[in-house]
Amino acid sequence: MDTDFVLFVSAAIFSIGAVGFLIRKNPLVMFMSVELMLNSVNLLLVGYSKALASLDGQIFALIIMTVAAAEVVVGLAIILTIFRTRHDLNVDHINVLKG
Amino acid sequence: MAGFIGLSWWGNRLPRSGVGLVGCGSIGGAFLVTLVVLADMLLLSPDQRVGNVVTLYPWIASPHFQLDLAVLIDPLSVFMLLVVTGVGFLIHVYSIGYMQDDPEYSRFFAYMNLFIFSMSLLVMAADFFFLIVGWALVGLASYLLIGFWTEKTSAVLAARKAFVMNVIGDVGMVIAAFVVFQYFGTLNYVDVFAKASTTFSPNDDGVLLITLLLLVGAFAKSAQVPLHTWLPDAMEGPTPVSALIHAATMVTAGVYLVARCNSLFMLAPYTMYLVAGVGVFTAIFAGSMALVQFDIKRVIAFSTMSQIGYMFLAVGVGVFSAGMFHLMTHAFFKALLFLGAGSVIHALGGEQDIRKMGGLRHAMPITFWTFLVAALALSGFPLTAGFFSKELIIMESYHAELGNFLFWGLAVLGAGLTGFYTFRLFFYVFMGSSRSPGAHPHESPMVMTGPLLILGSLSLLGGVLGPWAHEFLSPVFSGVIPLHHEDALLESITVGVALGGIATAVALFMTGKDRLDFAKQMLAPVYDVLIHKYYVDEIYDFFIVKPVKAVGAFMEERAEKDGIDFAVDQVGAQVREVSRGISIWQSGSVRLYAMNMVAGLVTILLFVIFL
Repeated sequence: MDTDFVLFVSAAIFSIGAVGFLIRKNPLVMFMSVELMLNSVNLLLVGYSKALASLDGQIFALIIMTVAAAEVVVGLAIILTIFRTRHDLNVDHINVLKG
Repeated sequence: MAGFIGLSWWGNRLPRSGVGLVGCGSIGGAFLVTLVVLADMLLLSPDQRVGNVVTLYPWIASPHFQLDLAVLIDPLSVFMLLVVTGVGFLIHVYSIGYMQDDPEYSRFFAYMNLFIFSMSLLVMAADFFFLIVGWALVGLASYLLIGFWTEKTSAVLAARKAFVMNVIGDVGMVIAAFVVFQYFGTLNYVDVFAKASTTFSPNDDGVLLITLLLLVGAFAKSAQVPLHTWLPDAMEGPTPVSALIHAATMVTAGVYLVARCNSLFMLAPYTMYLVAGVGVFTAIFAGSMALVQFDIKRVIAFSTMSQIGYMFLAVGVGVFSAGMFHLMTHAFFKALLFLGAGSVIHALGGEQDIRKMGGLRHAMPITFWTFLVAALALSGFPLTAGFFSKELIIMESYHAELGNFLFWGLAVLGAGLTGFYTFRLFFYVFMGSSRSPGAHPHESPMVMTGPLLILGSLSLLGGVLGPWAHEFLSPVFSGVIPLHHEDALLESITVGVALGGIATAVALFMTGKDRLDFAKQMLAPVYDVLIHKYYVDEIYDFFIVKPVKAVGAFMEERAEKDGIDFAVDQVGAQVREVSRGISIWQSGSVRLYAMNMVAGLVTILLFVIFL
């Protein structure tokens, strides 16, 4: 597998994630999009790690996964709380912080 | 040296003095440590005892200014420590009984420990900086303790008054420290005192300025005229507090200060005259006010002021060791008087008016006898502790180099007043028959009478320590060698006057009401002035408080509302206008934020790639 291919796939996944994050209204789906973006970066790191014959990239990917897991915990908890209090998960309606 | 251990001991115990046991234990431990230090010191020869500075660690070090956290161990500081921790320990034990029913028991002990700690810091400090730190902390602890019963308005007001008066003194101290630094380039006692005699010639402007500023602090803390008004009001605090702070230790800090800085004060004879003059004036001024008070604690408070006046007289005429000796005996018998008074108040369920007491000698035998001993010691009855120390001071006020006949005469007059008011109080409380029929007084528990007994024996026998104290302290007061004048004539006059005061009290208060009323009518105008404490509070109110309030009101109207408030309001209003414009950006829509984020990222990327 050559590096260009990995690069391409990674970029594609990242774009899908970014666009998904922007156009979706359900925070759960937006969240999944964020995960897509994170993992595309992981893919990129691992790909380069192989191409450059260095383990640093893989270690970094592991760290990102850990962080992502922690972030999911917090994020899901927030979403759950929002749903419990408002019974509504449309992000366009969540504008309490409007100045 | 072990003083270091002592300090860390207090520091560690301080926060968790939840239980009386811990509270007392820490002070008792401190006392033991002090005893060890004392034993160490007695092994040294007198020359080696001075100027031992134990540096714990350098705190601020710069080319121009060096400040170490250090303690000074010399006879004077050890002597003070003995008094502070020893009497403090007894008062702590007593408090266990006195404060038993108080819901804020542990807070009380925490404050008491804080006080002992600050006082120890004050007397152990090796430079002016930590002296001031201890000084201010002591003021704080006293404020907290006077206002301990926070639900009592009068207590809170009294605490505030005490604090304000003390801060006046603190300011004097701080400025004094600045001036010291200006002249000597250091705040270290040892260096300052060593250089003092070469830097200044007697009565130089500089040394006068320093000593006068230090005196402001000393007078405020020790309740000397004209900064004395806080002390009687401070009696609003719990009685053990009055005993600890306002009798045995804190108020003597001023005397300690003058004694500590003796090499500076000796260079300023003018200031010394002022010290002695104010001291002796306060002695009779406060003594006369004590004649007519009816609150048991206030009588003792005025007598405290008067006795501290004697101490200032002693240090003012240059017999420092006599002043320190009186400080010690005074700590014994005055703490005893306060604790005895507390025992009475406790027994009568909080009654402090002596007109409602009486006939307590049968109900409370231990309190009665110990109080009698204290009263005798206070009025200088021969062979009690107070006799030796007071006699020494009065004698020296005439014979010492700086003494004169006026000081002596006033001091003797004060001794007579002391005898009178002490026994007036005593007869009111213990003799005759009970004046409040409903009360059922009872003797206090052992934990309270124990300290009374110990202090009682010290008040009775403490006089024998006199020569020892003099010899022990003399290395500190180098160059000041008070001679022991024997003068049978003066001595007998003093004793005679003191006994005369007692006899007058007997005549007036033991032999029926008629003569008392007669005397009151004869002296009605004087009586009036005395009971209003010479109207000093009113004078302060008129000349200081009222004008300050008027200025304050004016400033509020003009400067505050029209000036500062207006400016601040305008700043706020303008900011609000601007921010209203900006707040459009804060839409609250998550997706818009995300969009902006991505757009920003893309912009940055474009910059990075194409530029």
